[in-house]
Amino acid sequence: MSTDALDPVIHAPARLRIVAMLAALPRGDSLSFTRLQDMLNLTPGNLITHLRKLEDAGYLVSETTGNGRASHTAIALTAEGRAALDIYTDALRDLLGGL
Amino acid sequence: MHGTQDDGLDPREAAQLLAETTRQARRQFSFSPPWISAFMGAVILAGYAALWLSTRAQHPYKGPSVGAIGLVYTAVAVTIAVSVTVYRRAAAGVSGPSVRQRQIEGIAILVSYLGSPLIQGALKHDHAGNALVYGVIPAAAPLIIVGTTVLGIAASKADWSQFSAALVVVIGGFVAVFVGPSGSWLAAGIGLFFGVAVHAAAPRVRLGRS
Repeated sequence: MSTDALDPVIHAPARLRIVAMLAALPRGDSLSFTRLQDMLNLTPGNLITHLRKLEDAGYLVSETTGNGRASHTAIALTAEGRAALDIYTDALRDLLGGL
Repeated sequence: MHGTQDDGLDPREAAQLLAETTRQARRQFSFSPPWISAFMGAVILAGYAALWLSTRAQHPYKGPSVGAIGLVYTAVAVTIAVSVTVYRRAAAGVSGPSVRQRQIEGIAILVSYLGSPLIQGALKHDHAGNALVYGVIPAAAPLIIVGTTVLGIAASKADWSQFSAALVVVIGGFVAVFVGPSGSWLAAGIGLFFGVAVHAAAPRVRLGRS
């Protein structure tokens, strides 16, 4: 089965889980970095790397407020990110069709 | 462990991972997990059954016994405590418009809860009989007033699971008005229990279809 039709930004285990987690929230809602890290069981460095790739693709936005220990980062899926996940899901269905 | 590597995925593995993660996320963000619905259903049945049992042999009707009322208040307090704990856990780290909307909905529901005791107080003030003041009104009115408020909220969000549950509760309230003071507790308990059951079952039916 060829995976060429699948969006390479989403088609990686960690990023697929990040996008799926954020897509389960109501539209417009954000999730804190710490809760997301806790839910995905990833190291902070690993999570930051994947978030940056998704942010560069325009699939999510992050907003940091405060400084130092009191800083808080909220992450939300953009409309483009939600649409990309829908397209990815449809492509997966097409690839697995009939199975 | 999932997600520690950046290598490609087989489409079948990807589909499985996507489904698993979506299920996990829905469970963790859920404000009414199945166990809390089961718990609430049991509490409702026990509480309203106690009210019904304490009044069904009364001729003339006087109202529920102090013991039954105490049991109901304790059950309500425990249910609120459990619900708040579940809400805090589910909402931890979540911010945005849906959180603000839920807070406004909470205020609307809280205000609508005041409707029943107000009517009850006004009837008592006007020397209405015990059957109305300590039976039909406190049993049926909360279901009709709060149920209708939730019905409106659910309709505005097109949340058909919540809408169906609220409709069942309101119908329970309508029935409770016409079955006498003691029977109204039983009808209200059954209406509320089925409302909780419909709310718990609806997402499963939807997931089963998708």
